[in-house]
Amino acid sequence: MSAITDAPVTRSRLTIGTQAALITLLVGAICLALEPVAPWLVKWPAAWVLPATDWVGTILTSVLTTMKPVARGFSALMAYPMDWANFVLNGTPWPLVIGIVTAVGWYLGGLPMATLGFLGLSFVLASGYWSESMNTLALVAVSVPLALIVGGAIGVLANEVPRMKNALQAVLDIMQTVPTFAYLTPLLLLFGFGPVVGLIASAIYAAPPMARNVLLGLERVESEVKEAAVMAGGTRLQQLFQVEIPSASTQIMVGVNQCLMAALSMVIIAAVIGGFNDIGWEVLLTMRKAQFGEALIAGMVIVVFAMVIDRMSGALATERKRYDTRVVWGLLGFAVIFTVAFWTRLPAPSDLTLLDPVSDALDNGLTDFTRANGASLDAFKNNSMFYVLLPLRIGLDQAVLPFTWGFTWTSNMSTGFFLTGAAIGAVLAWRGHVTRGVMVLIGFGMLETGVSNLPWPFVLTGAAALGWVAGGPRLAVLSAGLLSTILVSGLWDRALLSLYLSGAAVFACAIVGGLIGLMSAISPLAWKIVRPICDMLQTIPLFVFLIPVLMVFQIGEFSAFLAICAYAIVPMIRYTRHGLVNTPEEMMEAAIASGATQFQIMRDIKAPYAAPTILLGLNQTILYAFAMLVIAALIGTTGLGQSIYLALGKADIGLGISAGAAMAILALVADRLVQGFAEERRKALGL
Amino acid sequence: MKTIGLGIALTALAGTVHAAELGAVDEPIKLAVNEWTGQHVSTHVAGEMLKAAGYNVEYVTAGYMNMYQAMTDGELHAALEIWSSNVSEEYAKHIDAGGVTELGDLGLDAKEGIAYPAHVAEMCPGLPAWEALKECAQNFATAETLPAGRLVDYPADWGTPGADRMTGLELPFKAVPAGSEGALIAELRASTERKSPLLITFWQPHWAMSAYDVQFVELPAGEDACFTDASWGPNPNAVNDCDFAPTRIFKASWSGMEDKWPAAFEILSNYTLDVADQQPMMGAIDVDGGSVEDVVAAWMSENEGTWRPVVDAATK
Repeated sequence: MSAITDAPVTRSRLTIGTQAALITLLVGAICLALEPVAPWLVKWPAAWVLPATDWVGTILTSVLTTMKPVARGFSALMAYPMDWANFVLNGTPWPLVIGIVTAVGWYLGGLPMATLGFLGLSFVLASGYWSESMNTLALVAVSVPLALIVGGAIGVLANEVPRMKNALQAVLDIMQTVPTFAYLTPLLLLFGFGPVVGLIASAIYAAPPMARNVLLGLERVESEVKEAAVMAGGTRLQQLFQVEIPSASTQIMVGVNQCLMAALSMVIIAAVIGGFNDIGWEVLLTMRKAQFGEALIAGMVIVVFAMVIDRMSGALATERKRYDTRVVWGLLGFAVIFTVAFWTRLPAPSDLTLLDPVSDALDNGLTDFTRANGASLDAFKNNSMFYVLLPLRIGLDQAVLPFTWGFTWTSNMSTGFFLTGAAIGAVLAWRGHVTRGVMVLIGFGMLETGVSNLPWPFVLTGAAALGWVAGGPRLAVLSAGLLSTILVSGLWDRALLSLYLSGAAVFACAIVGGLIGLMSAISPLAWKIVRPICDMLQTIPLFVFLIPVLMVFQIGEFSAFLAICAYAIVPMIRYTRHGLVNTPEEMMEAAIASGATQFQIMRDIKAPYAAPTILLGLNQTILYAFAMLVIAALIGTTGLGQSIYLALGKADIGLGISAGAAMAILALVADRLVQGFAEERRKALGL
Repeated sequence: MKTIGLGIALTALAGTVHAAELGAVDEPIKLAVNEWTGQHVSTHVAGEMLKAAGYNVEYVTAGYMNMYQAMTDGELHAALEIWSSNVSEEYAKHIDAGGVTELGDLGLDAKEGIAYPAHVAEMCPGLPAWEALKECAQNFATAETLPAGRLVDYPADWGTPGADRMTGLELPFKAVPAGSEGALIAELRASTERKSPLLITFWQPHWAMSAYDVQFVELPAGEDACFTDASWGPNPNAVNDCDFAPTRIFKASWSGMEDKWPAAFEILSNYTLDVADQQPMMGAIDVDGGSVEDVVAAWMSENEGTWRPVVDAATK
């Protein structure tokens, strides 16, 4: 008996995981013990902070000033297509626009698509935001081609010059993770005031999905096809443009679709600068007045555009079937006749207020809801704050107060708490799970001190240890190195607050989202209900969420936490369901043939097989949570998001870029760690 | 004939000594439209005055915090309602660099202070006297602020005047920054609808003052000495133990405006608007749902006596 239990202990003591966990524990324990004599272990002394934000500001300002003339020239150039798009879209009578979209919908997807286009645009018309919407479309119409060209070029370059691939991929990561608000000020300085800045910001954000898909598509072109092109004697350019890009077209079209969606999601950010009376500006105005109904209607206009564009470009990318062109001409003809016949008698779209009752009803509904459920919602919020979020942030030793828990946290309790952790850890270790045992003890330690009070050597060691386990020494050095730049730049406290808030949100999303995903995988009916909600949560401007959350739960961390969850939970649901549904047939058959129950199939076959996909979903959830952190600062959080707003208000380029970079670093490190673990799982499964 | 013509030209010239040249009337003067209704009203009234003087005016939406670079670049020509309480540091930079010129006060009588919706008076007897807050702070406490009460302060980028008052007056309140104006309004709305306690940093003129029946706490007058001399005021050991310093609301323009549109520069410099005029217009827009253009047009035709002299002084 003892021989059996001893064997795994000795073996697992040698694994990297155990070593890493033990080192982390040791560093944590030393920091905790030395805290009274060496306070610099917990709080990085202000005297050690390098004035990095100032340096960044000075360097960037001089660089930007030299680049300014070129950028201004580019701005002036981009103003032409902007004006044309604006002129065409705003100049075309609305019945004609609706007719064209309906006709295109029919051509691509038959009756369902035509109906979608017609109803979607009718909604936009009825909302009274027609001309604002056309301004928004004009912005997207110019920024998307720009993003497609830039993204396509990066993708081709990465494919052609393999040595640059890693560097280019890092650039793409940065483009996607540095929050847009962080670089709005430099963009304003460079390109001047007006819609061009919004255009460029959205192109920066929308280019990476295109680049990634182009690269993926080109890499997947079958080698026989490539060889045929070589043998036909084409030059490299001919091979690329006449053979490889056409054969990768399906994947590239996926990129185009993703690029469109990303560009649409950025229009609201462009509105923060102004210069352009678009739908994003309307959302901002209504948000400022806390008019939930109107903000939701204005936000829904963007959702409608996203849905129509997504479905139509999706059909363009995947469906080969095209529908009868006679119907197309019929629809267009009808639209022209309708316009000519009724134009003088039609109302101006801005006078339409058909949806005002709806927005009023929504607003009143929110009022009634807060009134009716105020007390119970408050209790829910207070309990979550007292027993979960506060201890997580400032630790049990500070969070447990007579006001909240009914007693004071004494040092005896701390000792007892640690002893409990040690006992559980020891039991686990004794049963052969040394790593798990050590992790439990680390977890107890973190709960006692709280994330925002964690000693920095412990955080750095922990990140390095995780990096080592997930991806070897390079990842360990990368994680610790990147994090220490935040430390020396003096943004550490804020970074820990951001880490705590997004960490808590990711944790909640992983559990709740995973469960919803599981439910959707088991029951198709559940998925039918969940799917449109997911679509809406992903495309509606994030600002719109803030009003109801604020009305119900007031300013503070809990509201920010919920707002982040609402957005970040979506990928977790989608990927969990996707992973669980797509188990290979032969595995399922084998399981059923061997007489496994539904539960056993789920636990032993589907769940392990889906693990890499679910981890990818977790990875996306983390990135989404960080992205939402900036928006959540509008509620009143105190982490890096707030720094970015402060910098935006002061036009402080150094602080803005540094805080943005710190945010990107946190997101990147988390992303690399999760990807490392996913890769490991995939290898273990032989995929 | 010739001498008569010359004589007429000379008299005309003499007549324009006090009035300014119109300047480039063909090119549009771009006025910044920021994110709040009061500013829309101030801007549109000014814009209509410029139109009455014969100018071509364009209203351009612009983010309040970031518009000064655009003014230096001459892409925006004037901003008519800038609040000293939340003007960004960028403004000072551009004033120093010479790209932006201040045009004097708008004349709106603004007040900032610690405020509460009327129903809160029942939860804290003694209000609006500030001393009452000492006793009932725990009624305002929430999970984040226990045991202190909670004060909803301005967004962090507007500064922390509420927190400064609480420290100066040693009131047991913890200030929570709001994040955005929308968050402040949502707090007021939720508090009014749920009859829950709320102490908030707020200002007038603002449409929410009447919509949610907001009252100011009475604090010791905000004299200059209060902000420099600790011994001044009820707390002998701290500064800021008083009301807010009076807020200035002023106008600013692109510094090239005086040369390009001299008369417009004069009109905008002399332009003032009263709270008694602005507040009803804000109500007509935000509460009754009127459009800015219609409401301002109605006001312009009814109050020609107020604004016409300013236009005439600059052009005739």
